[in-house]
Amino acid sequence: MLMGWTRRSRQFERDALPHLPALYRVARQLTSTAADDLVQETFLRAWKYFETFDSTTNCRAWLFRILRNVWINRWRKSHLELPLAETGEEQVEPYYDWEDEFLRDEMSAEVEHALSDLPADYRLTILLADVEELTYQEIARVMECPIGTVMSRLNRGRKMLARLIRHYDRERSSNAKPAAFSRRNA
Amino acid sequence: MMDCKNIREILDLYVDGELSPEAAVQAETHLAECAACRKTVARLNRLRQAVKTAVGQYQPPSQLVAQVRQSTVFQWKRATTWVLVVATVLLVAFLGLFSSQVRATVADGLEVAAFHLDDSRATIMEGKLLCRDCLLKDEYGYRAMCPTRGHHGSLQTKDGKIWHILDGDASEELIHNSKLLGRTVRIHGRCFRRASSVEVDSYEVL
Repeated sequence: MLMGWTRRSRQFERDALPHLPALYRVARQLTSTAADDLVQETFLRAWKYFETFDSTTNCRAWLFRILRNVWINRWRKSHLELPLAETGEEQVEPYYDWEDEFLRDEMSAEVEHALSDLPADYRLTILLADVEELTYQEIARVMECPIGTVMSRLNRGRKMLARLIRHYDRERSSNAKPAAFSRRNA
Repeated sequence: MMDCKNIREILDLYVDGELSPEAAVQAETHLAECAACRKTVARLNRLRQAVKTAVGQYQPPSQLVAQVRQSTVFQWKRATTWVLVVATVLLVAFLGLFSSQVRATVADGLEVAAFHLDDSRATIMEGKLLCRDCLLKDEYGYRAMCPTRGHHGSLQTKDGKIWHILDGDASEELIHNSKLLGRTVRIHGRCFRRASSVEVDSYEVL
């Protein structure tokens, strides 16, 4: 038994702990004030249930799934959020509406601001695809939804994100008071 | 062949590397010929990169990394270390208590160590000569062999401590002459305090 636990400990250190930075940067976008707690609780739960992890699959995706569940149970339900109308088979829209140049370097503040205004499921889907580079199938497992829903969230989410970044960029340029996009998460 | 409308419908899949190899080849063929679609792909990639840059700038605080390690694998390692320490102590105690051979070896080792570690010095000791084996028999129920092998003289000082008299030419009478038992003697020699032993240079019966 002792040997089994030692092997489990080594495997956890090798397979799970290296993903801590990835979990932290996503956790920060979900809850900027309690990212440390969210990550800590995710790893505690991962450690507790590590024997259920299939080592032939992606450990990072498994950890993100736990992180999402912890976040929903502990943080998200304490914040009201209006759901967007969404169906898994929603038609993907072509990119016609933001075909002007607005993205520049040094726009991290606007990008973060815009990300925080996205509905949480869209935000997490974009983060898993663009930052963590998970496959659609892995994202679908993390989000516990069909792949079609992942595709539509990415498509709609990226368009919303682009509009929001452009909005905050213009707002900053004109130094105007924010009037719209007030739905912020924790 | 793909046209502009087709490719813009699958743009996300293309930039995310989710197209089938055949579809990816068709998309590449169109992009090679269409500057407008190439621009659209470039913009989408810039958006993805902007997200990556903005989010990727954060690193976990070292305190968090330490806490996570502490509460998962280190906690187990610490528990394992304690289990091993306790198991070792129990094993040593078991062997020490139940194996006379091991106990004797440990005792011999301690004695040798004590001789080496002790700072022996010249001394004059005074006390009563008593049979060591008989004392142990009275005290602990030791099965003394005195009736067949004779008594074994030791020195009991006033504080009640019993000193082992080391074998030597000058100490033979003190150890083996039963007639001296019960007599008070003064021994000149060297004292090995940690080994509770005394080496005799000379003695006088008082």
